[in-house]
Amino acid sequence: MEEKREIHVDPMALAFAKIMTIFTIIGIILMVVPAVFYFMGQNQYIPLHVAAKYWHEPAVDFWKDAMHETVHGYDWIFQNLQYTDCQSMIGVLLLMITPLLSMFAAIPKAPQKVYKILLLVAAIEFIISMVVKGIF
Amino acid sequence: MTAWWYWPLFMFIFTLLIGIISPVSGVGGGVLYVPLATVLTPFSVDFIRGAGLVMAVTSALSSVPYLLRKGLANIRLFAVIAPIMVITSVVGGIVGLWVSNALPNGKYYVKLLLGIIILLVFFIMITSKRVEFPEVRDEDVDAWSRKLGIVGEWYEPSLERIVQYKIKNLPVGMAMFGVIGFVAGMFGLGAGWANVPLLNLVMGAPIKVATATSMLIITANAPAIGIYLAKGAVLPVVVVPSILGITIGARIGAKIAEVIKPAFVRWLVIGILFLAGVLNIIKGLQGLGVIPHII
Repeated sequence: MEEKREIHVDPMALAFAKIMTIFTIIGIILMVVPAVFYFMGQNQYIPLHVAAKYWHEPAVDFWKDAMHETVHGYDWIFQNLQYTDCQSMIGVLLLMITPLLSMFAAIPKAPQKVYKILLLVAAIEFIISMVVKGIF
Repeated sequence: MTAWWYWPLFMFIFTLLIGIISPVSGVGGGVLYVPLATVLTPFSVDFIRGAGLVMAVTSALSSVPYLLRKGLANIRLFAVIAPIMVITSVVGGIVGLWVSNALPNGKYYVKLLLGIIILLVFFIMITSKRVEFPEVRDEDVDAWSRKLGIVGEWYEPSLERIVQYKIKNLPVGMAMFGVIGFVAGMFGLGAGWANVPLLNLVMGAPIKVATATSMLIITANAPAIGIYLAKGAVLPVVVVPSILGITIGARIGAKIAEVIKPAFVRWLVIGILFLAGVLNIIKGLQGLGVIPHII
C-alpha cells in the first residue's frame, strides 16, 4: 500500500482531471433534468408526437417537415431557451466543451514548453471547429 | 401507430443491455450502439450517429478523471494526439452528414460504408492479440517519444508493484490516429476499437494504459458533437434515454464482469457485430437498388 503513494502523476493530469470531473457532473445534470420535464410534456419546442412522426428522416428533412425550418448552427438552441428540449441541449454543449476547459486548466501545469504549445494548439483547434460548426 | 414513448423506452433498455455487455466483453459501447440502433430502430442514421457521439464522449468524460489520477491514462500522449484527432474527427463528421444529406440516396451510402467499417472492426477484433505488458527496450523508443518524455507508471494490484512503461513508434501512431479520428467522426462510432490495438500493439503501451489512454483520446472527439448539434441532429428523445441506459448498464456490467466468463460474452458480441455489419451492407445495397429487398 505504501508503494501506491510513490506513483508520480503529472500535475497537468491532475489539473485536467479536476476540471473534467466538475463540468461533466454539471453537464449531465443540465442535460437530464430539463429532458425529464420535456418527456413530461412541459414547454416542448418539438412536440414529442411530431418528432415521432418524422424522426426516421435525415436531420435536414426532419426539421423541414416537423418545424418548417432549416437549422444552421446553434441558434435553434439559444433562441429557444424557454423550451425544455433546447435547455437540455445546453447540457450537451457543456459536455462538448468540457475537454476544452480541462485543456486550459492543464496548460499552466505543463512540464515542458512543448506541452503548453500542444495543448494550446488542441484548444484553439477545438474552438475553431466549434465556431465553424456554427457557420456551416 | 406506435406511441411516441415506445422508442425512447426501447433506447433506454437497448443501451442498458449494451452498457451491461460492454464491460463484460471489453468491447466499447459506441461500436455496438450505432450499427445496431441503425438496424433496430426507426431513427434516422443522423440522429443515431449524433447520439452515439454524445454517448461515447460522456462515457469517456465520466471515467477519465479516475484513470488520470491512477496514472493509467497518459496525458502526454493525449497532448500529442489531440491536435490531430480534433481536426480529423470534425472533417469526418462533416463528410458523414454531407454524404447522407446532399447525395441522392446518401443515407444508403452511409449505411453501406458503416457496414464495411463494422466488418473491418470485426476483423481487427478477431485477429488482434492484446499484450498485457509489451516489452519496449530503450533502443525501441523513437526520437520524438524520447524528446517529449512520454513515459508513465501505475500501481498494478495483480503484481503488487509499480509498473513503468515507455512508448515507441510515435510518428506512425500519430498518422494512424488521424485516420481513426476521421472514421469516428463520420460514423459516430467512438474510437476505442481502433485506439486500443494501436496504442497496445503499435506503440507498445501496456493494455491497461492503452485502454485508459484511449478513453482520454475519445474526449478529443467532442467537437464533432457540434456538427450534429448545428444540424439539429441531436434530439433529447434519442440522446437522453441512451445516456441514462448506458450509464446505469455499465455499472451493472462492471459488477457482473467480476463473476462471469468474459471470453464467451466477447465472442457473442463479436458475432453480433458481424451480424450488424452484414445487415447494414444489405440495407445499403437494397436502398441503392443493387440487390432486391430481402429484409
